[in-house]
Amino acid sequence: MIVRRKKLDASVPAMAMGDIAFLLLIFFVILARARDDSHLQWKPAAGQELTRPTTMNASVVVDKYNVTHLNGREIPVGTLAEELKVLLGENPAGRRTVMLKVHHEATAVYFEPVIEAVSEAGGELHHILEEEKNQQ
Amino acid sequence: MKLNRTKLLVEPPASATSDIAFILIVFFLVCASVEPDKGRAQVLPRAEPEPQKDKQSQTIDVELTRNAVILNGNPLPPETFRKSIELKLADKTRDEDKIVAVKSRKEVPYSHWMAVTGIIEDSGGIITLQLEEEQTVQVK
Repeated sequence: MIVRRKKLDASVPAMAMGDIAFLLLIFFVILARARDDSHLQWKPAAGQELTRPTTMNASVVVDKYNVTHLNGREIPVGTLAEELKVLLGENPAGRRTVMLKVHHEATAVYFEPVIEAVSEAGGELHHILEEEKNQQ
Repeated sequence: MKLNRTKLLVEPPASATSDIAFILIVFFLVCASVEPDKGRAQVLPRAEPEPQKDKQSQTIDVELTRNAVILNGNPLPPETFRKSIELKLADKTRDEDKIVAVKSRKEVPYSHWMAVTGIIEDSGGIITLQLEEEQTVQVK
């Protein structure tokens, strides 16, 4: 006598997929907005042998209008050092990376006080640049 | 007599929502990765409120103008600057002797500043910024 096996239906419910995907979507959107400086207009200067920072604790942008932003929020340069000190806290060396994005045409009168503020706060500078194209 | 209305409301297919959501996720991820995140780390000594008065070693002074470099008072074209700074730093062994004080004029663009400071760091120099401080002097 042949005993037939019962077929067990083990399909994944498709209805749940939409919910999972939307939760992921909300997660990514919130994550992106937390440190969003994509709306700022700046063009990086050229550089060679560029590396990617291992950590990113703060992001400072000097845009094409010479306005300074900390993590996407406009900030006066005078208070930048204090705000960075709060952000970086007591983080050990290697976890105090400040990504500095300066528009390539910004002048020293605007970007030097920013560098000084990062240095005063004990931040580890990482200039964000664009890979230099070799002209042949 | 009662007439039964035909139901016109039709539910959208639920199976399509996951596809739409995943396409949106991919869109956001692609948008996020466009931002440049590569660059160059720069070590600057922590800023001090008062300058060190006792300078035991002689630092190298580099002054930047809009498109030129002045090394210890001598204006140099950008091509010869690399060789000159390499020569100056070659015989320095102590870290305090490798300090290069960079002073920039107000109109120096960031791209020029990065190029010059990059050359100094590649040559083994340690950059310190020399900034002009604003002081209010009362005249009697």
